[in-house]
Amino acid sequence: MKFVDEYRDAELARGLGAQIAALAEPGRHYKVMEVCGGHTHTIYKHGIEAHLPESVELVHGPGCPVCVIPMGRVDDGIAIAKRPNVIFTCFGDMMRVPGGDGSLLEAKAEGADVRFVYSPLDALKIARENPDREVVFYAIGFETTAPSTALTLMRAKQEGLKNFSVMCNHVTIVPPLKALLESPDLRLDAFIGPGHVSTVVGCRPYEFIPRDYGQPVVVAGFEPLDLLQSIFMIMRQLSEGRAEVENQYGRVVFWEGNPRALDVLQEVFVLRPHFEWRGLGFISQSALSLSDAYADWDAELRYDVPGVRVADPKACQCGEVLKGVIKPWECKVFGTACTPETPIGTCMVSSEGACAAYYNFGRFAKPKARAGA
Amino acid sequence: MTLEKEASALPILNPFSYDAACSLVDGCLVCGDVAVPVTVVEASEPDALCQDPQGQRGMVGIELVAPIEAGDRLLVHGGVAISRLGERA
Repeated sequence: MKFVDEYRDAELARGLGAQIAALAEPGRHYKVMEVCGGHTHTIYKHGIEAHLPESVELVHGPGCPVCVIPMGRVDDGIAIAKRPNVIFTCFGDMMRVPGGDGSLLEAKAEGADVRFVYSPLDALKIARENPDREVVFYAIGFETTAPSTALTLMRAKQEGLKNFSVMCNHVTIVPPLKALLESPDLRLDAFIGPGHVSTVVGCRPYEFIPRDYGQPVVVAGFEPLDLLQSIFMIMRQLSEGRAEVENQYGRVVFWEGNPRALDVLQEVFVLRPHFEWRGLGFISQSALSLSDAYADWDAELRYDVPGVRVADPKACQCGEVLKGVIKPWECKVFGTACTPETPIGTCMVSSEGACAAYYNFGRFAKPKARAGA
Repeated sequence: MTLEKEASALPILNPFSYDAACSLVDGCLVCGDVAVPVTVVEASEPDALCQDPQGQRGMVGIELVAPIEAGDRLLVHGGVAISRLGERA
């Protein structure tokens, strides 16, 4: 399968692992954060860590859109979903995220019309097919996903479709990276940059990381060899004393991103003054809301939402996991009270969440890491 | 009905739905920031019929990468093409 098989060659993976080990300075410990949840998923699914020397530690970042949604925003969505005449649509994993009072899936079980879709364009189709119903799309995701919401809203406006609206929870990638870099309890050596976010925003937004913090960033693809090659590129930079933004994912990511997608985002969204991230707290200018031109399609303006801040469960340590301060298995409820079937925290919900990825793919195969934790 | 049961009840091939460009195997691709490589089967605007590596076909919004031709390879996320594949950046 072109663009897939050639990036899963075991022999090449072993070779890259050896080259990475050769670049590791004896006695030095390297902490590399993969920002994106998709990378976390690949790392556990394909056993990437087995190819790395012990001195290279992968730290899982905040790049899972489901994992960073605070409980209060889930409750706001459920409040809209429970309104009569509303068809509430969202991506599949979002349905299981626990709010302060149950999840969207539980709201569905209680009678709310909640449906999962793979694209906001599908939600728009539902709106066209149900002119007597109000269709709401619960939008989540980074800059990768925001263009699809933006295009959907542009089509809704063009068609004058008034029974459709969006509850916008889109977030942006750079502010949480800044928050992590400023965090005193986390010392990193480098970042594996998010591949598909960069398809849209390009590589330029990360230039502040080497410039201001002296750390390399390598934008990476999602296949096993992509990740290993990115780690090799990071180790090469560190061994040569360089700190730059490099693009490993050149077959997809352009340095300037996709200008047309950026124009669309500019038209449909504006930056929120601040937004709450699960585990990271409030981060200024880190999320998007609909611009005035699209206010008629803004579900938060159309419906009363409680807008109450809900504290995370005390037992849950998703915040520390999202910041890379602890590993999933170091959380007290990991794999016992909190499992993918009955998640307490968001990191256990999405298959790209660090806890779920580790629970599904890594928990029996990595006694070395657990012993060293 | 659990989410898994609901997911398995989805049609495998549905050329009139955007869902065909997503995979149920690797989890929620949209949430995972993971996009799917597809090939354009029939070029049209604003949606084009595309085929993913598993042979599933679906309609994809192509405004962000237009103009396109049959045979072009695109990267699709959330039912929308966000990039072209195979071009050097």
